[in-house]
Amino acid sequence: MNLDWSVLISAFPDLMQGLQVTLLIAISGLAGGIVSGVVAGVALEYGGRISNVLAHIYVALIRGTPIVVQVMFIFFALPLIAGIRISSIDAAIITIIINSGAYNAEIIRGALNSVPGGIQEAGLAMGLSFPAVLAHIIAPLAFRRSLPAMGNQLVNVVKDTSIFIVIGVGELTRRGQEVMAENFRSVEVWSEVAAIYFVVISAFTLGLRVLERRMRLP
Amino acid sequence: MIEFRQTTKRFGDHVVLRPVELSVKSGEVAVIIGPSGSGKSTMLRCVNALEKISGGDLLVNELSVLGSSADIRQIRRQAGMVFQQFNLFPNLTALQNVMFGPIRAKKYSKSEAKEIAKALLGKVGLFERKNHYPSQLSGGQQQRVAIARALAVQPRLMLFDEPTSALDPELRQEVMKVMQTLAMEGMTMMVVTHEMHFARQVGSRLIFMENGRVVHDGEPAALLSSPPSERFHNFLQHVQ
Ligand SMILES: Nc1ncnc2c1ncn2[C@@H]1O[C@H](COP(=O)(O)OP(=O)(O)O)[C@@H](O)[C@H]1O
Ligand SMILES: [Mg+2]
Repeated sequence: MNLDWSVLISAFPDLMQGLQVTLLIAISGLAGGIVSGVVAGVALEYGGRISNVLAHIYVALIRGTPIVVQVMFIFFALPLIAGIRISSIDAAIITIIINSGAYNAEIIRGALNSVPGGIQEAGLAMGLSFPAVLAHIIAPLAFRRSLPAMGNQLVNVVKDTSIFIVIGVGELTRRGQEVMAENFRSVEVWSEVAAIYFVVISAFTLGLRVLERRMRLP
Repeated sequence: MIEFRQTTKRFGDHVVLRPVELSVKSGEVAVIIGPSGSGKSTMLRCVNALEKISGGDLLVNELSVLGSSADIRQIRRQAGMVFQQFNLFPNLTALQNVMFGPIRAKKYSKSEAKEIAKALLGKVGLFERKNHYPSQLSGGQQQRVAIARALAVQPRLMLFDEPTSALDPELRQEVMKVMQTLAMEGMTMMVVTHEMHFARQVGSRLIFMENGRVVHDGEPAALLSSPPSERFHNFLQHVQ
């Protein structure tokens, strides 16, 4: 087998465009997934009956179905049901937010639950309202507690963006496939695609480790 | 200042406070003793509405614990609480722990809160430890920080729930001394404790609870020197 490593350079601009789309989806997914995860996690831990049941259904539905099926549903089935048109990139972003939010919700619920009751009572006993206790006492402690698990989950978000190839979103994996279809250099192209993912995910993981260390209590 | 009016408390079917009739006046130091499970903690926690009473009424500075949530927050700002397990905020230094209440509960500026906190840490003898985290302090020091934290919202009365029970015997004295100083300054206090010499020396009232009832209520020295009941006598032998 003869390898032509110059392909790495010629493919690079296309793959970088793919990476931009991957990062756009991933960053929207991270931010949106944290918001939806916090909302659902708070509902699971403190919600009244209705919000608690709704949050449980949301988490169970998402965790009980593959993400590929979720994005297929949102891209192909939802437009038929709701009579709207959405672009493939919007479908990808919506899916990743809904999907990662469901996984984050369980992590956040566990982290909220880990804050000792006595510490919450210390805040209430000073005359703070419960929302103030949640914001100023529980949240900072739960945030620390959730970091390792959230970090893993957020790395999964970056990897999961590659499945959006199934609806034709031009993210990194899709771009790799397109480049390969032109030059038939599968070893070189997929090595390069893998290396790009690896660098991005490693940098991300490193950033999380640094944050975790910074937040560690004496 | 604190008035229990036929106050009852149940957890489900389990009656923890039978009607309790009790009033603690301004400047009094009421020491509460009694066997484990007799309802001492529950009684204290009803005063600042950490537990909701089931019947009767309970007034703190003329505000009912059955009042609005604004009333309850007002009661809680007036009644500082010190817990057996300290319950300091582990992510904050000693100084930040004490500053927390003034900033969050009283909306003081950061610099005002810092002045209050420094003064109170000095008062409990921990000024030089102000930048330590709770995990870097001994149990006795943590409890003194917790007392300073409770005092920082300028309460009119203080509730202590077995403040020295989680401490090694040699660390209890430093906490007792801080409490004694507070009492001498005229702070109204309800103290659940097994420290009989504290009851004798600092208490102005001694309350013996059993089975959710106030069984004896009187002058500490008198009750301790001539126990009015067999049960009380046996209990004293047990704790001393
Ligand atoms: N949150 C609760 N739920 C159910 N039962 C409780 C609760 N808190 C206390 N109890 C019960 O109330 C009784 C009195 O408890 P407590 O006030 O803690 O007693 P003490 O402080 O005198 O040891 C005990 O039987 C205890 O089991
Ligand atoms: Mg108790």
